[in-house]
Amino acid sequence: MDFGYSEDNERFRQQIKDFLKANVSREFRAEVREMQGKGMGPLAKELILKIGEKGWIGMSWPEEYGGRNADRIDQYIFEEELVRARVPLNIGNFIEQAPAIMSAGSEAQKKYFIPRLVRGEVTFALGYTEPSGGTDLASLKTRAVEDGDEFVINGQKTFTSGAESASHIYLMARTDPDSPKHDGISIFLVPIDTPGITIRPLWTLAGGRTNEVFFDEVRIPKTAILGEKNQGWYIGSKALNLGRAGAMRYYTYVSLFEETLYFARSNPLGQQLMADEIARDKMAELYCEAQVARLFTLRSLSMIRRGINPPYEISSEKVWGPEFLVKSTEVVSQILGPYHQLWEGSELAPHRGSFPKRYVSAMVSTFGHGSTQVMRDAIARRGLGLPRGAV
Amino acid sequence: MDVLLNDDEELLRDQARAFLIKESPTSLVREVEAGSKDYDAALWKKAAELGWLGITFPELYGGTPAPFSDLGLLFEEMGRGMAPIPIHPTLVAALTINEIGSAQQKESLLPAVIGGYKMLSWAWFEHGGDIDLASVQLAAKVEGDCLRLSGNKLFVDGFQQADQCLVVCRSQSGSTGNEGITLVLVDTDSEGLSHSRLPTLAGDIQDELCFDDVAVPLGNVIGQLHEGGEAAVAMFERAVILNCAMMVGASHKAIEMTFEYAKEREAFGQPIGSFQAIQHMCANMVTWVDGATLLTHEALWKLSQGLPASKEISTAKAFCNERCPAALREGNQIHAGIAQIKEYDLQLWYRRVAAWSMRMGTSIQHRRIVAREIDIVPK
Repeated sequence: MDFGYSEDNERFRQQIKDFLKANVSREFRAEVREMQGKGMGPLAKELILKIGEKGWIGMSWPEEYGGRNADRIDQYIFEEELVRARVPLNIGNFIEQAPAIMSAGSEAQKKYFIPRLVRGEVTFALGYTEPSGGTDLASLKTRAVEDGDEFVINGQKTFTSGAESASHIYLMARTDPDSPKHDGISIFLVPIDTPGITIRPLWTLAGGRTNEVFFDEVRIPKTAILGEKNQGWYIGSKALNLGRAGAMRYYTYVSLFEETLYFARSNPLGQQLMADEIARDKMAELYCEAQVARLFTLRSLSMIRRGINPPYEISSEKVWGPEFLVKSTEVVSQILGPYHQLWEGSELAPHRGSFPKRYVSAMVSTFGHGSTQVMRDAIARRGLGLPRGAV
Repeated sequence: MDVLLNDDEELLRDQARAFLIKESPTSLVREVEAGSKDYDAALWKKAAELGWLGITFPELYGGTPAPFSDLGLLFEEMGRGMAPIPIHPTLVAALTINEIGSAQQKESLLPAVIGGYKMLSWAWFEHGGDIDLASVQLAAKVEGDCLRLSGNKLFVDGFQQADQCLVVCRSQSGSTGNEGITLVLVDTDSEGLSHSRLPTLAGDIQDELCFDDVAVPLGNVIGQLHEGGEAAVAMFERAVILNCAMMVGASHKAIEMTFEYAKEREAFGQPIGSFQAIQHMCANMVTWVDGATLLTHEALWKLSQGLPASKEISTAKAFCNERCPAALREGNQIHAGIAQIKEYDLQLWYRRVAAWSMRMGTSIQHRRIVAREIDIVPK
């Protein structure tokens, strides 16, 4: 066992911190607030390209695809510092598709997509969920029908977050309606500006945006398919598993607690609230549980680095982390009381009024990208070998 | 950074596990629990022969230098196998002697401990069960070339079979907190020292000690007179993390038994493990115990590196105390009726994990340390 960062790791962390300090400006933060739900502003695009130039996106990928064969732990450090600095660039989402493209893509796809993902020029929105089913993904209905050298796509996706600013959609569609439901699905890498695609915003409780995406006679070349026809389910589920590992996710779950901890230490109101021993006990409990979230992520990364595709450990992260986040919103709200309900605009609002938003947005974590119930199914069946029901 | 066990660690774990499956079957555990002795002498001898009592100790005294985490992994297996030997109290005391004892003390004590000829105990806690050193009130007065001890100690493990007991006492009256603390090795048959057994949930033997003006030569002071505060805290912390290791080892075994039971036990025409309600309980159990394990390993690793680990140790203990028993309660619920039956083995682990979670600091007390360590206690 080795729970320490090497000197190289520490040097790298400092490099990232220095970069973020120098490049994340007040203007950038103002733009992020301004552009919420409207896509990516010029400063955000500029920052992503700068990060891409540094070679930090997908830095652990092989060199021939634009990565640097870097230590997976360095990539973790990069992601952790990025989220810690509250840079809301969803680089985790870019990276998420890369393992699938690397393992199943054609040479042409790898050469096209991977370097562009690394440079931040290609970004994917995930076209999985449909109105009739999210968690039961394999029952999806969107059809892709072969027609000469093309596929013709008809159907609808929903909760397609980031579609408003993505360059491509990573689309799961049914290519064989007669096979058992897992066996007739394919994945397509579709430019989002392809004629016939319509994006409609869905506004969330927390003031964020997700989308519905409609496909009406959308024609794409056959080369847009990822891997073999009808193998999409298996390609996708592996990528989904690996995509859940990493600091982007872990830190999203614990950042609320860390910021509250900072507030409790350094803000006069926070210090006043910490005079209550019960409040301190609750904060200490959250601290302990946050460490479990961190260690679950490091466990998954340790396994991936050893070449093991974790059978259940990533699902454990995806149960523990989101439920920790929800619990921390509950605990923190009961420590801060009426201050917690204040939005931006009140001078009394801690953390510039970000708490109410985070309180309502926490719910997304326990169902986005697979509900915690499904994660528990996976832990029990894949991890512990419990049998499927005879239902 | 690689939080998984390396090859050597896996080998150590596998060998210890295989040995204890063979040498510490539940029949032996039950036999010792029912008897008047707290340990099995044959198993103790074998443990010494395997070199287990010398892990992390200098070769000079017959030990095997190894990282502290190796000892932690061994204790996980001790918990898993419920090994009925007083390795925890003996090594908690011996590790402190090795850390701060004089060359002469180490020379005279450690080879005998490592060889399995001398058993030790340690006495730290007093009435109230507090884990803050301020709670130590057992008085030690210097008189000539002796320390004279008066007062009580509670929840002392392994005292009855120990030859000597490392006692934490307050040697400067009026001192507070970590000041004026002395560690002294007391012969268990000293005049004026009486003990009475406390009946416990785990069926282990703990004693209440009563010191009635017990004279101990100053030469038995381990470390510096009046300046043992830091060493007493370090002794407590090592005891705590080894207790966590035992808890996670035992918990892993109990939840594995439960998963196997869920696969085999049938109800309504199918294995109960195919019901989603049971599956989700199992998913929680493995998540909690894995979490407890990782926290324990991180603390062990920090100690191995000689890094400050108070925060990690208390984090692990606070979490283990709550989540390990919770996992075993779910295991009982899945087993249902049979879980309460004495002749069914599950209860052996359940009682131990529960009892271990109640000792060496509650989750509330350890979270108090965590709160201090994360700097949220107002100045």
